[in-house]
Amino acid sequence: MRTLYLALKYLAVTLWSGFVIFPFLWMLTTSFKTANGVTGGATWLPWLQYQPSLGGWQSLFGGAGGVNIVRPYLNSLVVTLSGSAIALILGTLAAYGLSRFSFRAGPIRNGDITFFFISQRIMPPIVLAIPFFLMLRWLGLLDSLPGLILIYVALLMPIAVWVMVDFFNTIPRGLDEMAWMDGCPPVTTFLRVILPNVMPGLVVAGMFCLIFGWNDFFFAFTLTFTKTQLLPVSIVALNSSVTPWWALSAAAIVSVAPLAVLAFVVERFLSRGGLAGAVR
Amino acid sequence: MAEIRLQELAHAYAPGAPHALKPLDMTWRDGGTYALLGPSGCGKSTMLNIISGLLHPSEGRVLFDGQDVTRLGTGQRNIAQVFQVPVIYRSMTVGQNLAFPLVCRGVPTPRIRQRVEAIAERLGLTPLLKRPANALTADQKQLVSLGRGLVREDVAAILLDEPLTVIDPQMKFELRRILKEINAEFRVTMVLVTHDQTEAMTFADEVMVMNHGEVVQAGRPRDLFERPATTHVGHFIGSPAMNFLPALAVAGRAVVPGTGLSLPLPDGLPTDGLVLGFRPEHARLSGASGTMQGRVARLWFEGLDEIVALSHPAGEVRLRAPAGLGLAPGDTAAFTLRDTALRLYRNGRLVA
Amino acid sequence: MLVLRDLSLTEGGVPHLAAVSVDAEPGRMTTLLGRTGAGKTTLLRAVAGLVQPQSGQISLAGADWSRLPPWRRPVAMVTQQFINYPHLSVLDNVAFPLIRRGEPREAAREAAAAILGRVGLAQMTGRRPAALSGGQQQRVAIARALVKRAPVLLLDEPFVNLDYKLREGLREELAELLRSQSDTVVLYATTDPREALQMGDCTVLMAEGRVLQAGPPRAVFGAPATLEAARVVNDPPINLLAAEITQSGLVLDHLGPQSAGATGRALPPGRYTLGLRAEDIRSGGPLPARVALTEVSGSETVTHLMAGGQPLVMLERAVTDHRLGSELGLMLDLGKALVFGADGALIPKGASHG
Repeated sequence: MRTLYLALKYLAVTLWSGFVIFPFLWMLTTSFKTANGVTGGATWLPWLQYQPSLGGWQSLFGGAGGVNIVRPYLNSLVVTLSGSAIALILGTLAAYGLSRFSFRAGPIRNGDITFFFISQRIMPPIVLAIPFFLMLRWLGLLDSLPGLILIYVALLMPIAVWVMVDFFNTIPRGLDEMAWMDGCPPVTTFLRVILPNVMPGLVVAGMFCLIFGWNDFFFAFTLTFTKTQLLPVSIVALNSSVTPWWALSAAAIVSVAPLAVLAFVVERFLSRGGLAGAVR
Repeated sequence: MAEIRLQELAHAYAPGAPHALKPLDMTWRDGGTYALLGPSGCGKSTMLNIISGLLHPSEGRVLFDGQDVTRLGTGQRNIAQVFQVPVIYRSMTVGQNLAFPLVCRGVPTPRIRQRVEAIAERLGLTPLLKRPANALTADQKQLVSLGRGLVREDVAAILLDEPLTVIDPQMKFELRRILKEINAEFRVTMVLVTHDQTEAMTFADEVMVMNHGEVVQAGRPRDLFERPATTHVGHFIGSPAMNFLPALAVAGRAVVPGTGLSLPLPDGLPTDGLVLGFRPEHARLSGASGTMQGRVARLWFEGLDEIVALSHPAGEVRLRAPAGLGLAPGDTAAFTLRDTALRLYRNGRLVA
Repeated sequence: MLVLRDLSLTEGGVPHLAAVSVDAEPGRMTTLLGRTGAGKTTLLRAVAGLVQPQSGQISLAGADWSRLPPWRRPVAMVTQQFINYPHLSVLDNVAFPLIRRGEPREAAREAAAAILGRVGLAQMTGRRPAALSGGQQQRVAIARALVKRAPVLLLDEPFVNLDYKLREGLREELAELLRSQSDTVVLYATTDPREALQMGDCTVLMAEGRVLQAGPPRAVFGAPATLEAARVVNDPPINLLAAEITQSGLVLDHLGPQSAGATGRALPPGRYTLGLRAEDIRSGGPLPARVALTEVSGSETVTHLMAGGQPLVMLERAVTDHRLGSELGLMLDLGKALVFGADGALIPKGASHG
């Protein structure tokens, strides 16, 4: 009876894994195809069902009528990483303030301020398109990396605040006080005592920021033109009259890759007990 | 109302792991009050959770009125459990909290109102019925928890897991009194788990002292006090704890050298690991000489009396003395003790 | 000496501290005794700098602390909830304050290891606090508080969350450890009168943010200045009997006239309150009473009774078994009673006027 149950479990897991991995496998094989391989039905096995070629990959570097995505790729990396880092730092500091101090402006209190931050993510992004455009133009930062980083910080900081406030709230104020009495002024207390205990929160918040930042198409599209290009936009630019599935597949793989690596690293950290910094 | 019987019950949290609860057999009669007393980690909460159904034992059976309920879930056993932390539904008023178990069971509304009012009256919650449960003090919340357990008329037993921990010391007395009155009136079997000997011995007709997963002694509070079955029980119950001094076998008696403490040795008893014990309450200070004499090492003033530590080559002994005797560290003092107050232990177990 | 003068703190209309003045000498244990809400925790937190009193002064050896933030006050504190740094090992936890102070890491760790050895945790130095039991965690907190040899040590009901036997053991351990730090001012807050009297060299009674009385335990216990002080310092609770002294003698409000000279003192006619301790009531006497509750602790029995509308508490040094609702005859040893005047103040023995 137990073996039947076990077999069913494994079967279910295998089926589901297959279901999830299938698109990636498809993308991988498609990226090595040419126009011939793509028409006339689904093909799977290289050299047996179709001729593999590097055309798709070459077009990522500008060859075979494609677009050189190296520069946009690096731009995306820079913007996402800096934007996330700054958002994380500012957001963590803000969250600490919201967790530890009581703010009041008339009827507005801490909980309302936190909600205000979270509410930024509820808004449909399109509402912000024109205001951001106008603001960047006024600052002369349209179509530039610093401008985009600024916008990303504004978009990603709410996520950082949202995640970190909860983590800070799980740490009792008694710990701050104990650190004070042991001679740590508030900044040292924050850096040396509180932060090490919210490591999992930082990881989670950082991860969310990186994912949302990397995947953003809308603002990259609206706020950049020629001088600065980001990855999502340049992938779209790969399109032509005949949809180059092979080039698009290669581009998709390349753009998912960093996130896959990130997920792998974070999962290792979390399962190794990163979350076990439990406070009694 | 039910008789609870534990048959060859034992529990290990994983197969092959050491027993969290060693095999035991116990019967708790209907309407009685019982206490499981022991330090943290002794297995008392494990036993309680097995009785209530929150935990299924790895061995043995639980029987309610002869029926095997071991595999039944909590809901089917009709157990009310009160936890260390008050469990209340925060979004409801006190009255709604108390009514909830009955509402869930589809009891007609007039009957619900009747029961709720009766129980609230009993627990002194009547003025609070309309208040949101969130706004109460800790002890009031605990009363609501208790009330929710009592409001069902078919409740087999009430299990209380260290319920007075969060209560103010002043209110503890109030709540203990209410618990006793409820037991007297409703004749519900009540089992209390605690690490506080006063709570256990006040509340229960029968106290089970537990340590390391086994029931070391079960009996009426007076028996536990007068004849502790092991040195651990003698140490755990009573403040100050029972005094124990190593003894040697001399001419058919167990004697503590250098003192007048001695008891006849039972025939055939091996003579190693002997210890004589007595309770501080049975010793009377007697001036310069007596059963045992020593030097005053320390004094603790407790208000109505003092605790005196007497040191002697055989060991240190603690006694209670009326305050104001004027004893000071370094003085010589002695006490007398009747032989009937002495107990003989071998390797930790009571022998005579 | 730590001097607290007229500290006041009111929040939301509730006075947490009302002109509290305490003098605490180094090398002695000063216990703060009072019910929950009496202001003990607030007072300790004010000394630590965690709350700011609205008026009053705190000074140590003449140096005023009012302007010092907590991280500059030479204070160590142990709280009821075991607070240790979760991300550090036990050894690093105890070494932390020394390292913060600027001591070299190795020396700090050695000092930490030494004191952990004294509290019996030498085997646990590599573990994290979360892996330790409650008693062990509190010992770590105590070790950390002691290792920096701060001039002022504050303990806020440190053992209240532990098993009662563990509590007894730790109290003694603490007393031992403090013996070697004779220049430290120690403030110990508790709700348990017996603990306060036992541990303290000086007992301070508090209620509702005020200091009721301060002095050596025997003096405070033997002569509580007011009815309120008598209530705070007695466990089991003291019996307060309203009485009237008339030309014909002493009449207790609920229990009727008593024999002339029952109190053994000459008092002018008027209203009084007699404070009779639980051990001065014995069974086997003429006064009829009904048992409301018996509380058995390991070695003594406290019986709550009702005698003609007057609630009484009796202490017996044995494990007895009075059934709920049974009738007992009581003897009240009024000669031992404390006498309080109509204003609630104690009338000391030997004084014949109120």
